[in-house]
Amino acid sequence: MDWTTNLQMLTAGLAMGSIYALVALGFVLIFNAVNVVNFAQGEFVMVPAFVAVWLMSYLELPYYLTCAATVIFMGIFGIIFQRIAYYPLRHRTFLPVVISTIGVGIFLKNGAQNIFGAEPLSMPRPTASEALNLFGVYVDPQYIVIILCTLALLAFQYFLFEKTKLGKMLQATAQDKEMARLLGIRVTIMIAITFAYSSMLGAAAGILVGPIFFVTKEMGGMLGLKAFCSTIVGGFGSVPGAIVGGVFLGVVEVFGAYYVSSAYRDAFAFIILILVLLVRPQGFFGEKIAEKA
Amino acid sequence: MNINAKKILIPACLVVAVVLFPRVVASSYWLNLINLAISFSIAAIGLNIVLGYAGQLSLAQAAFWGIGAYTSALLTTQLGVPVWGGMFAAFFMSALFGVLLGIPTLKLSGHYLAMATIGFGIILQLVLVNAIWLTNGSDGITKIPSPWIGSLELDDPGDFFYVAAVALILFTWGAINLKNSRVGRAFMAIRENEMAAETTGVDTTFYKIMAFALSAGYAGFGGWMFAHSCSHYISPDTFSFDQSVMILVMAVLGGNGSAIGSIVGSVLLTLLPEVLRFLKNYYMMVYAAGIVLIMIYMPSGIAGLVRHMRVSTRLRTWWNSDSTAARQVAASSSGGEVVSVEAIAVTEGSGAGEVLLTVKGLAKQFGGLKAVDGVDMVVRRGEIQALIGPNGSGKTTTLNMLSGLYIPTGGEISLEGAAIAGRKPHVITSLGIARTFQNIRLFGELTVLDNVLIGQQCHSKSGLISSIFHPPWQRAEESAMRAKAIGMLAFVGLKGKEFAQSNSLPYGQQRLLEMARALVSDPKLLLLDEPAAGLNAAETETLVDLLFQISKRGITILLVEHDMNLVMNVSDHITVLNFGRKIAEGTAEEIEKNQEVIDAYLGTEVGNA
Amino acid sequence: MLKVDGIESWYGAIQALKGVTLDVKEGEIVALLGANGAGKSTTIKTITGLVKAKKGRIEFLGQDITDMETEDIAELGIAYVPEGRRIFAGLSVMDNLMLGATPRKRVSQADIQKDLDRVLTIFPVLAEFRARLGWQLSGGQQQMLAIGRGLMSAAKLLIMDEPSLGLAPILIQEVFKVIKEINKAGTTILLVEQNARMALLIANRGYVLETGRVMLSDTAANLLASEEMKEHYLGTHANVKEARQRRRDERAGG
Repeated sequence: MDWTTNLQMLTAGLAMGSIYALVALGFVLIFNAVNVVNFAQGEFVMVPAFVAVWLMSYLELPYYLTCAATVIFMGIFGIIFQRIAYYPLRHRTFLPVVISTIGVGIFLKNGAQNIFGAEPLSMPRPTASEALNLFGVYVDPQYIVIILCTLALLAFQYFLFEKTKLGKMLQATAQDKEMARLLGIRVTIMIAITFAYSSMLGAAAGILVGPIFFVTKEMGGMLGLKAFCSTIVGGFGSVPGAIVGGVFLGVVEVFGAYYVSSAYRDAFAFIILILVLLVRPQGFFGEKIAEKA
Repeated sequence: MNINAKKILIPACLVVAVVLFPRVVASSYWLNLINLAISFSIAAIGLNIVLGYAGQLSLAQAAFWGIGAYTSALLTTQLGVPVWGGMFAAFFMSALFGVLLGIPTLKLSGHYLAMATIGFGIILQLVLVNAIWLTNGSDGITKIPSPWIGSLELDDPGDFFYVAAVALILFTWGAINLKNSRVGRAFMAIRENEMAAETTGVDTTFYKIMAFALSAGYAGFGGWMFAHSCSHYISPDTFSFDQSVMILVMAVLGGNGSAIGSIVGSVLLTLLPEVLRFLKNYYMMVYAAGIVLIMIYMPSGIAGLVRHMRVSTRLRTWWNSDSTAARQVAASSSGGEVVSVEAIAVTEGSGAGEVLLTVKGLAKQFGGLKAVDGVDMVVRRGEIQALIGPNGSGKTTTLNMLSGLYIPTGGEISLEGAAIAGRKPHVITSLGIARTFQNIRLFGELTVLDNVLIGQQCHSKSGLISSIFHPPWQRAEESAMRAKAIGMLAFVGLKGKEFAQSNSLPYGQQRLLEMARALVSDPKLLLLDEPAAGLNAAETETLVDLLFQISKRGITILLVEHDMNLVMNVSDHITVLNFGRKIAEGTAEEIEKNQEVIDAYLGTEVGNA
Repeated sequence: MLKVDGIESWYGAIQALKGVTLDVKEGEIVALLGANGAGKSTTIKTITGLVKAKKGRIEFLGQDITDMETEDIAELGIAYVPEGRRIFAGLSVMDNLMLGATPRKRVSQADIQKDLDRVLTIFPVLAEFRARLGWQLSGGQQQMLAIGRGLMSAAKLLIMDEPSLGLAPILIQEVFKVIKEINKAGTTILLVEQNARMALLIANRGYVLETGRVMLSDTAANLLASEEMKEHYLGTHANVKEARQRRRDERAGG
């Protein structure tokens, strides 16, 4: 139980937590905009991971070009996704939409397998593979990259949403769609942008986490579910909640796996989810919603 | 064809089909698949109960399937318990876990509930993998025995088929019976409108847990079948979230709410991969694309499609024309053998004028907002009292506290001396207060008759067992309830509409239906929340007449209303609220001259504008 | 400026408007009154395009806007200060105000700044709290913000829906004073209000709606003085009194 081990785990936890946060953020933005729980959000990480590997390994594009291309690809992907999976169901109740997004997730998973093969692929690293020695703590440099990139992305998001006119319009649309329309804000365009942005966040997550694990068709599944847990734990519908929830779950998971049981590593996110739902269903930052009689 | 012919013909056909089937389909391979399909069917029918009937999205069905499989496998391989004993254990153990899942998730719905059930399923699968001392972990459990009947071991898929088929028929019959019974109606009420179900007298907590338990039991049984026939080997991999999704798709493909649909969906999705073998790896993509397309174009599944086709309507009408319900309705309208029941009991005149409901210092605070700030009221037996006041005065909040939807933050409410503040709505309904809602909360997809039958929830007794098996006393109870419902519908003016879908009725009639549903619980006090909202002049007249008819039969009425014409016309006593406080009370004449009331409604000159 | 002719609209399954006709001339303050459920909000929702009229016609500055999309109607110059304020609770005062200017195309930053200064002069409290988030403001401040946001659109017609709702009397005074000022400065106003008296004190003309139809239409002064209006609100028509007596007798006897 020495502090170097703990710091190592903390770094790993923060890194995984950052990934969860990015995916959770994508979730929340879509939910706030159109009230849809996108069960395919995990696949939004898996697809760009495969695309990036393909670009780097087969087309041998340099790393930064790959990143740019993948992000743009996912932006377009997001808009197409919105048109196919969300738009026809936008007036329906919650169950058809949930099942539809689950269906899209399965389609993407198996589509990836058919295109890229069933073998797990490894994504070339932008960083060295030996652990960095920071003040006696051995850390996988990719973790540092993940944490720094996520911070950069969050900073970018903050700038976009808080300091630009577009960002304000996006926020307004998410908070009160009808009022936004009354102010002349083109809500359909805002929704398309939200889907695109959310998918691009997935691209970032995929590119960042790819080098750590193998890129497989299953990588998105558990990731998506845990990100969903993060949003509920953090407070459903809350953007800072999604981030805090994601990081929290990432850290708890790593420490739980070490101190409690590594076999049940995947369970921690869900155990915390169930506890939160029992004790404080609105999560850290969420608001209680009561049905009006 | 009369009903007796139907009663003989259908079972006969089924027996013949079951006996002949394994002869016709001689291949062991295909019979095994059929057995697998049946195992899934039973799990899907179970999911139908909790999702299709009760509207609770549970994505843990594969977990319960797994609990059933593992329970029986362990008992039979480790403890030598006979396979039939394992069958019961599987059912009840899964049902128990269903209760364990149902209790903590009571307050959840929609995606929160879905996520919690997913979490439950994943945690369970992890336990199966890691509790090696119990479950043998990823290696799974092998050499699971087949059941024996006497000296015959049912290890041939053809032999096991008989067990499977009989089980399927029984479970399906049970589910269909359930739908048309008190418990089934309670489930559907919860699905349609949980708040209205609660105020109509359905103990939503109890029934939700029951739905989870029952559906888990079904899945557990399916798991037992899977373990002891299809493969004789189980491992944790099978009982995954993806499998729960598959069972969900089977149920939805078949048609949410249709037991037979679930069977069709399950068979299709079990056999399709075999038939579509040539697609190889592309099968899953086709499956997934199919899911999306079905949700877009065929959301009610195959059952919905069949319902749309006219052949099915004629078949249905022929089938239903002999149903007990239909005959009762026909009998009552032909006037011949009229099952005449006094629609509402006329309460004795004695006690009129004495106090029925007392409200003292009632308060409700939402955060910093004092919606109701110390209200005292008295409602006397036999009167029609109106509670009025401008927007935001606290009228609806008061009504909600009287019916139990809100818990007061202060004050007391007593009905005939018994304190009712803060008690659950269905309890308050059973004590004698019924209500209607401002923005109509009917059980929309259910028939008019069903809505009024659900209204009698408090005064009927049939539980789960009798709802499934329909013993004679249950059938008698149903008959009596139907008669009362038919009478009540005639009373409010909806005769002839018994089998219409309630949300297809025009607005004014929907309001009448909601009143019928409230009246049929024999309330002492009827709370009406803006009963005239959205009604035109003619409909309002009808409403006024109806209110007087109700009052004549001894039922006390408290109504919240904006339509001042109606209020002035109908009320014996008026209480006026403003800003959460009572500002005046009295007869219509007194109120219309009260300056404070006039100011409250017309507004006051505030300073120098 | 605005001509509404015989519109019929549905609110879900209910026919909320059964033929509403009214008009607003340039420079006026017109009050739209009526009891709860009379159809005031549905009328406004139909004008702003949130609800589509099934029959009838709406004309604004000579253009037919009956079937136009809400966003386009906003760009034509109709601004809406909604019931319940509906400011963006997660955005700052400044953001809310600037978003109000969204419908204005082809306008210079300088002009927008000028209007912003004007709004801040009318509502000094907004200047003081410019960085605060919407949810941190009190009810009265939110109302000011909602009006300010409406003004930022430099709209020709400003529709205000129940501005007095939930406000303390002193604040109501303030708000109505501001409404008069804005109108004097050139904005035409359609004012929906429950507090009929207050509205009529500042309005030129008024319409009283009842169950989806215009029952009374007159100058504000006449309406204030009329007994008829009181009857519509309090259900004290003579024939109602008769019916009531009849019922009483029936009930006593039956």
